[in-house]
Amino acid sequence: MHSTNTSTKAYLSDTGTPLCVESVAMTFSHSSNQRTLDPRTKLFLLLAANLMLFFHVSVITQLIMVVLFLLPLAVAGRWKLTVNFALTYAVLTGLGFLDPDALGSPWLHVVSALAVGCTMMLPCFITGAYAFTTTSPSAFICAMRRMHAPESVVIPCVVVIRFFPTIAEDYRQIRNAMALRGIAAGGWGLLRHPAQSLEYILIPLLMNATNVAQDLSVAALTKGLGREGAHTSRTEIRMRIVDWIMMIVALIPLALDIAGVIH
Amino acid sequence: MTSEVYSNNVSFTYEQADELSLINTMLSIPSGQCVVLCGASGCGKTTYSRIVNGLIPQFFHGEFSGEQHTCGIDTAAEPIDKLTPLVGSVFQNPKTQYFNAKVIDELAFPAENMGLSPEEINHRIAEIAQRFNIEPLLQRSIFHLSGGQKQRIALAAASMLSPRLLVLDEPTSNLDTVAITEMRELVAQLKASGITIVIAEHRLAWLNGIADRYIIFDSGHIAHEYEADEFLALSPGCIAAMGMRALDLQPYRQRIKALESLTDVKKTSASDINDSGSASTQHDDATATHLGSSPLLSTHDLVIGYRGRDGFSRSIPDIDLYPGQIIGLMGHNGCGKTTLVRTLTGLIKPASGTVLLNGKPTKPRALTRAGFLVMQDVNYQLFSDSVREELLLGLDESDPAIIKRCDQVLEDLDLTRFADRHPMSLSGGQKQRVAIGSALMCGKDLIILDEPTSGLDRYHMEQVGELLRQLAEQGKTVLVVTHDEELAAGWCTTIINLEHNGSTSKPNS
Repeated sequence: MHSTNTSTKAYLSDTGTPLCVESVAMTFSHSSNQRTLDPRTKLFLLLAANLMLFFHVSVITQLIMVVLFLLPLAVAGRWKLTVNFALTYAVLTGLGFLDPDALGSPWLHVVSALAVGCTMMLPCFITGAYAFTTTSPSAFICAMRRMHAPESVVIPCVVVIRFFPTIAEDYRQIRNAMALRGIAAGGWGLLRHPAQSLEYILIPLLMNATNVAQDLSVAALTKGLGREGAHTSRTEIRMRIVDWIMMIVALIPLALDIAGVIH
Repeated sequence: MTSEVYSNNVSFTYEQADELSLINTMLSIPSGQCVVLCGASGCGKTTYSRIVNGLIPQFFHGEFSGEQHTCGIDTAAEPIDKLTPLVGSVFQNPKTQYFNAKVIDELAFPAENMGLSPEEINHRIAEIAQRFNIEPLLQRSIFHLSGGQKQRIALAAASMLSPRLLVLDEPTSNLDTVAITEMRELVAQLKASGITIVIAEHRLAWLNGIADRYIIFDSGHIAHEYEADEFLALSPGCIAAMGMRALDLQPYRQRIKALESLTDVKKTSASDINDSGSASTQHDDATATHLGSSPLLSTHDLVIGYRGRDGFSRSIPDIDLYPGQIIGLMGHNGCGKTTLVRTLTGLIKPASGTVLLNGKPTKPRALTRAGFLVMQDVNYQLFSDSVREELLLGLDESDPAIIKRCDQVLEDLDLTRFADRHPMSLSGGQKQRVAIGSALMCGKDLIILDEPTSGLDRYHMEQVGELLRQLAEQGKTVLVVTHDEELAAGWCTTIINLEHNGSTSKPNS
């Protein structure tokens, strides 16, 4: 790969300005973001999170795993997301520990049950957010193909990744539109009529998603995404030592918990 | 001479459509020609472009008959993948035609799908990046590029496999003047390299001198075929009668200049207005009428902007918006039009300075209550399952006075026929009118439209213009953000060009 870089650089510097050479040098140092894990490790973490849900792990294991899952997210520079997840987890775990009978208000059972349910789901959200927001579609395609995943799995996954950033933007637009109409405006507006607000957000979101999906399919089709035969990739992905360490470290508490060592 | 595109008696009906979209089309396009498909909306030009690049019948299903050969391949019989290395396609919406987050990945995408070696791919990227002058963009995220840059990337990606044919479906409908000029240069360059180019387009002016042939579609038929010199010799009236946009934008640009200078004059001394007002022909009395009244909205030392990764701020010259005016807000992409509009509707806070509503300093929340923004993508603003409910949303449906007003608004906007239809089943222009209707029902005084005519043919553009005038006559203040010179020249009473006024600063790159 390195030889290609230099040859291309040479190729351009013949004709280009110094600025152009600089940008090309930047361009071709493309082994994907050093600060994130390999897409395959990310998928492994996602799988581990799902296993946690499946095996009903203890609170201690859950705590260890959540910290482990938040670590790569923070390293990838997603500070806001990391802090949000950490706070949500802390609050939910706290609610789960409430003792409604001691407090004398039985309705709190509902709250703590809901909180426990959410805490169990949270690791999946964390690893999911990590896998889908820090991976470029091309790296993902490459990883899936290396794992010999069938095309019918690869393509929908890639489309989902492509969709994530658009949803945030769409949501912002829809909230603006709602504010202009005076529907569920203000910070508490959404909470006052949750069902109605959800409808007002979801309908335009889905309508738009349908259009975007069609446009994307058309674009991908004309560029041969569905073409039979070998596809290649210029994005380099490789498992580094960090990836193996991460996987092993995540596996230990999970295995110990399932084996019944941690209660 | 070989034909790159050969259609023999091609007809097509979309699934779930009653009418034929394309009827017995016979066309042959020789290698190296640049052909423009034009005509009013719904005339079949986009459908034909999809026939050419094989999306019909392979992706858009329906009833297909006839014989279509593109680059020698029978598009109905062979899989569409065979066309990938031969035909490059660029579509209308810059936002939804790229698949990868980063520019360089997007360029690599078609080549990766063809199974080229990484060395070959990198080599091609370097070549294409230089040819399309996008080297500085290669590592950027496409999400953060301007519309013009996105279309440039789309064209570059379509050229990655050195295709023999390029099919462009309204590539400029979301672009500003500068970006269109750049698009023109690229297309001219591609044509010079011998590529056959088929463009379906409303905006014709930028293609003068590049196009060899114009094919006029009318309700699914090929109505006329012109050689370039024949077509360009047609009178503007004749072009207009065919429902097409102007070939020569010069008169429109002059008019915009005149309107702009009028705005500047007004700022310096109010007494000059009448002189310059009468100097510009066909200038109606809209500017004169507001002289007596007070402005609905004015800005004072306003600085707009937002923080964050793409942070940006700029100062805005003091502006006054009067009831009954149609103010055009122009300027190239990225000069802050959208940010200004969002500030004026209270969706974001001004960085500094004040916005005065009816002469009083106002909080953003009050601005959101007084103003309405018809977004470029109007789909975001329609929430109900019928047009009538959409207008009544949030209002008391049992109040007869409100029902009466709703009927009146439906009537005014020519929506009575659609009152019980689902808003999403309407055409783009109809959706726009529904959104405006909802603003009228809420009693908004300031109505802002963001690029209301992008992708519209002449007839629909004029319809939007008439609608603006109607709103202004009702005493609304109308602000229209637009790149469309024909709309601005024809219907705006004042033009503010942000490009020429104030200063922009970007804190980080």
